[in-house]
Amino acid sequence: MVTPAKTPASLRDAGPTSAVTRRRKPPPAQQSLALTPAAGTAPAAGLPRAAATRQLWLCLYLPGLPLAALQCAAAEPVDAVFDEQQGLRRILLATPAAAAAGVHPGLSVNAALALVPGLQLAARCPAREQRSLQRLAGWAERYTSFVVVEPPATLLLEIAASLRLFGGLQALRRQLLRELDSQGFAAQAAIAPTPLAATWLARAGQRRCIVRPDRLSGTLSTLPVACLDWPAAVTDALYGMGIRCIGDCLRLPRAGFARRFGAARLLQLDRALGRLPDPRDKYSLAERFCADRDLDEEQADSELLLRLCEQLLLQLERFLLARQLAVQRLQFVFYHLQEPATSLALGSARAERSMAQWLELLKIRFERVALPAPVISIRLRAGRGQPLTATSGRLGFAGEGRPGVPIAHLVERLAARVGERAVHGVATVAEHRPDYAWRLRRACDDTPRCRTEPHPGHAHRAPQLLADMRRTGSLLLQRPLWMLDAPAPLACRDGRPCYEGALELRSGPERIETGWWDEAGIARDYYVALNPAGVHLWVFRDRTGDGGWYLHGIFG
Amino acid sequence: MNDALEQLLQNPRVWRGQSDASARQGLATGYPRLDQHLPGGGWPPHALTEILLERYGSGELKLLMPALARLSQAAGKPRDDAADAGWLAWIAPPFQPYPPALMQWGIDLSRVLIVRPRQGSDALWAAEQALSSGNCAAVLLWSEAFDHAASRRLQLAAEQGASWAIAFRPPGARREHSAAALRLELANGRTGTDIFILKSRGGRPAAVHGVIHDYASLPGS
Repeated sequence: MVTPAKTPASLRDAGPTSAVTRRRKPPPAQQSLALTPAAGTAPAAGLPRAAATRQLWLCLYLPGLPLAALQCAAAEPVDAVFDEQQGLRRILLATPAAAAAGVHPGLSVNAALALVPGLQLAARCPAREQRSLQRLAGWAERYTSFVVVEPPATLLLEIAASLRLFGGLQALRRQLLRELDSQGFAAQAAIAPTPLAATWLARAGQRRCIVRPDRLSGTLSTLPVACLDWPAAVTDALYGMGIRCIGDCLRLPRAGFARRFGAARLLQLDRALGRLPDPRDKYSLAERFCADRDLDEEQADSELLLRLCEQLLLQLERFLLARQLAVQRLQFVFYHLQEPATSLALGSARAERSMAQWLELLKIRFERVALPAPVISIRLRAGRGQPLTATSGRLGFAGEGRPGVPIAHLVERLAARVGERAVHGVATVAEHRPDYAWRLRRACDDTPRCRTEPHPGHAHRAPQLLADMRRTGSLLLQRPLWMLDAPAPLACRDGRPCYEGALELRSGPERIETGWWDEAGIARDYYVALNPAGVHLWVFRDRTGDGGWYLHGIFG
Repeated sequence: MNDALEQLLQNPRVWRGQSDASARQGLATGYPRLDQHLPGGGWPPHALTEILLERYGSGELKLLMPALARLSQAAGKPRDDAADAGWLAWIAPPFQPYPPALMQWGIDLSRVLIVRPRQGSDALWAAEQALSSGNCAAVLLWSEAFDHAASRRLQLAAEQGASWAIAFRPPGARREHSAAALRLELANGRTGTDIFILKSRGGRPAAVHGVIHDYASLPGS
């Protein structure tokens, strides 16, 4: 940092970095510029230039953000936005149409309403502006891996590495501005080798494109001091000294400048000119998606609500696409004015990001939800993102059959309506107790089949296996196709079990015992029984307790 | 015959007395005596089959098992990569289909989907979804809320998804109209399960006695 203690060193020549300024006004610059390298960063003199050639910053400055942020969230267009300063509500920004009618920034709200009686006014919402800015940062990440969010209304994109992909500087800038425009935002864009220079250029409304670092100081010098976004006290003081543009600042002695206006401002100037490195924090993506849609008045029309949900899902799709993620859980929350909010959770059998798929699930659920009151606001929250597992499709000529639609889509649709627990698959378990010889499993696993099914060929071999067993006379256990959830006690008459009449035991007993290791031990004798109606039943006599008879299965 | 007429006759919704409905190969039931009476020599593919029965345990599952096993095995071949076909959907079964027994019959358990909706209308809806999805080789449905409209919907969904729909209904449904391609009634006779063919598109009503005579008989035994 610049401290008075280091002043003696300032008499030393700064070397190459001073060249530009020295050309303009040698004596003071020579004296002042030496300050910075002496502040403990001697090698920095050569470094910034090399670093600057590697970086190219595109700054998107959004002067209309307060208005645009409100407009993209509200259902009805807003003509002007006001904010409150010292108890006065003054117009901050107005749409071109409103401005043409005389609604200028700074006008009091009452005066504006007197000018245009039907003016749609809204209060400024900084939180929403920041959310919009974050969202735009997420969008900008498709053009570069390095995005910096500079509140209140600036995005910085490091684009040096993206130029070739997007067809050069101008093409990239045009594309960015066009896409911003389609999202309802107007930006001033400028390109420079340092982030601060790009910011100042954009703020000054200059569409300059500076690629070479040695052109920086020449261009920046012409910028007015106002675009530096320094506190009013500082700019006023500069004006008082007759300093109008950045070039004037640069001509001042460094030591004096730092003393009067703070070392931080000097540092900013150095960074803007590329004399010192300007490290920035990269914008890191939010892990989860959350977006709101506010309505001007309560709405009960489900068609309209679904359309709004669709817009939210579209945002979600963009969000997920930029991150190469997919989600398995979504939650819609419908807020009402009087009633507590209605929440609608959607789940899918596998991670999904396609809007159409989610919309279909939502429609299935939505038609069965009774909203207690009209809706004033909708929020969409997504669960944790999972890396998208891409599967390669089949080539067109690969063969017979329809194009395969994953079973997961069917499972999701069914689960959305009847509940997730009501849709499942089954599997066998190597276990001798009939109750434990099977289990439920998830209806569709994304894991390869060989892992879920230890013997993939088993099922195909089964008929062969059975034929072999029959030929060799080995025992094939008789198991019914229908099983009761729990054994049902049977009435007994004359010591014989009855089920719609006395049962006739046809075969058995098959004794199945123990299970002491999990405290669900059994001791049963199983029989195949025939009842008078001709139905074959699988019954057992419990040998542990009172020796009662139970029905366990039906040979369907 | 001109083309338009030919096309019309190909439409499965056109019912023609006892003409050559065998143009469409049936799905062999595994019970040769029953196959003889069915047009196409087996279960009508891509259509609705209704099975009327007094009580569960009349051999209704055994009747279907050989065909279902073949369907699930045909789809489960390893070469069949990610294409999700050949699933067997069980919608609202009255009891738990017992996996070890299903496996003994040769059903590929990894292709079994069980859906247990709480409401009858949900069961119909789920069956329709499963049929028209193209993922299911067969859909078995147990539903109380079944009427003529439902049978039409299922029949259309089965055609659309090239799937086999099987609906189980009480014997009282005999008096109702149905769009099913095949209607059977099962009863436990003295010599085993008796099957009465009530309606058969392209065939004629018949009674086959003692088709399944062993309570646990496996195909071929």
